[in-house]
Amino acid sequence: MGYLDNTTTTVDAILTKKGRELLARGENEFKITKFSLSDDEIDYTLWDVTHPDGTNSYGAAIENMPLLEAFPDENQVMRYKLVTLPKDTVKLPIIEVPQPSIIFKNAGVVQPITPTTRNGSDSKLGYTLVLHNSDAADLVIAKGGEVLTKGATTPVFLSDTERKKSITVIGNSFNLISRSTSATIVTQITIHGNETGGTLTIPVTVNANT
Amino acid sequence: MAEIYTRFDPALDVITNQRQVVSSGMWSGGVGTLATFHTSSVQSGSSGQYYLDVYKTNPRTDNDAEIQYSIIYGHIYGSGSYGVTKNYPTKAIYKQFANLLLAPNDRLFTFAGSKDSNDIFAISIQRARLREKMDPGNWELWISGSNPVGASASGNGLIKLIDDSGATTNPSVNQGGRVFNVVSGSIATGKAVIETTAANQTGGGYGLFYPDMGIIILHPQILRNNTGPSTTVALSHFPSSSDGINDDNAGTIQKHVKAGSYFVARREEVLNTTHYFCRATNRKFNFSTNPSFFTASDGSFTNASFFRDPKTYITTVGLYNENNELLAVAKLSKPLLKSFSREAIVKVRLDF
Repeated sequence: MGYLDNTTTTVDAILTKKGRELLARGENEFKITKFSLSDDEIDYTLWDVTHPDGTNSYGAAIENMPLLEAFPDENQVMRYKLVTLPKDTVKLPIIEVPQPSIIFKNAGVVQPITPTTRNGSDSKLGYTLVLHNSDAADLVIAKGGEVLTKGATTPVFLSDTERKKSITVIGNSFNLISRSTSATIVTQITIHGNETGGTLTIPVTVNANT
Repeated sequence: MAEIYTRFDPALDVITNQRQVVSSGMWSGGVGTLATFHTSSVQSGSSGQYYLDVYKTNPRTDNDAEIQYSIIYGHIYGSGSYGVTKNYPTKAIYKQFANLLLAPNDRLFTFAGSKDSNDIFAISIQRARLREKMDPGNWELWISGSNPVGASASGNGLIKLIDDSGATTNPSVNQGGRVFNVVSGSIATGKAVIETTAANQTGGGYGLFYPDMGIIILHPQILRNNTGPSTTVALSHFPSSSDGINDDNAGTIQKHVKAGSYFVARREEVLNTTHYFCRATNRKFNFSTNPSFFTASDGSFTNASFFRDPKTYITTVGLYNENNELLAVAKLSKPLLKSFSREAIVKVRLDF
């Protein structure tokens, strides 16, 4: 008889840049209180229900895959979080907004953005919105759209230039206000559901002043 | 209701401040043995009267060469160096180490046998190599004899130095933390074997070892006049004590160390570790926001067999604060299957 496997998977964690920043600031902000799991690097199309070795081997291609080490950039990890939902869930939550894209023709125009979650709800913790380029517009929480959540890390894929110009706000409803610009700016807004983990990206165009 | 964060129960899931002593090789790359020694003409040209930095690889040809330790000569009256005033570099060095390592009212280094010394050699381990402290009882330094250029690293003319921490149950603790004697011996067998104790060393002890500071102080007069039982080392042209002349004594002792070609050492650090038990119970984390898990148009499963029996794979664990800011992250070595019929516990270790 073989021995029963009584091991727990043990892994070493590294601090993220944000973690180091908060630890160095020393204002009791470095206090770990919760965890989340993600399946970064996994492509579920590799789940092969036609595998000749049967059900135990459907995930063989995934399970035999080596994984990369952790990245310290908090915006590049935990991209696709695992989510807890009822067993009889038929469809996964999807973030939606009324407008598939936003185009401003003039400066100072206010465009309300009120995300909703189909097949779920993010109303309690709200949504994190990241405007990639604040040269194009300003992004603020609309009156009555505040939530208690603040400072959440959202995995978005920004260039170094975009990172310096990005705006991140958390709430339930928002106003996007176009800025005056001498050249047309095309950028994006990433919307992240803070309860469901759903993500949506919509293009934003601000035309040059005429 | 959807949920992506799970709160830790501090009483059940978190074990804080587990102290763990970790030792590793002292030198670059975590290796324990240093067999090649290089100095930099750039450094010695600018501050060589005070100290010499010693590298594992040649800094002239290797841009990534890292300093392993600095080697220093100090004399209480400034002999062996020159300057504009009588406050010569070697005098400043001696007083610097005395200030750092000796009691406030003590101005002279005293070696075993109550031997005061007006001069010292010091080996100060580079901060990045040392990390926290040297591991007592786990270093050995060979100093070759009379002719440093091409001297044999074995047989006559070789001093093998270790510390006597293994024979000391109650080390003295002074200004510089714990202090042990430097004695002749070897750790080659895996444990410290002392050849001659410091008390029995003719002329006085070889030196003093301050593990918490990463400093070895050597006694120049004993090195020069060594009459140990198995080695007879007459260190030539060393140390000169000419007043007002730069004798490059640090360079001379370094040549003898280089000829010995053997400096093995370990460092030691105490890690404060916190363990987090991330419990993915059977009903949790069975769905994914991964774009390959569902269709973007309506959220239905890309794989129909996942309906009522979804399968996910855990690859990454994120640790968050109350504001959902990602503070630490851990990766598994391979994907871990999760479903309604499986539970997983991932123990995440975070060292400080």
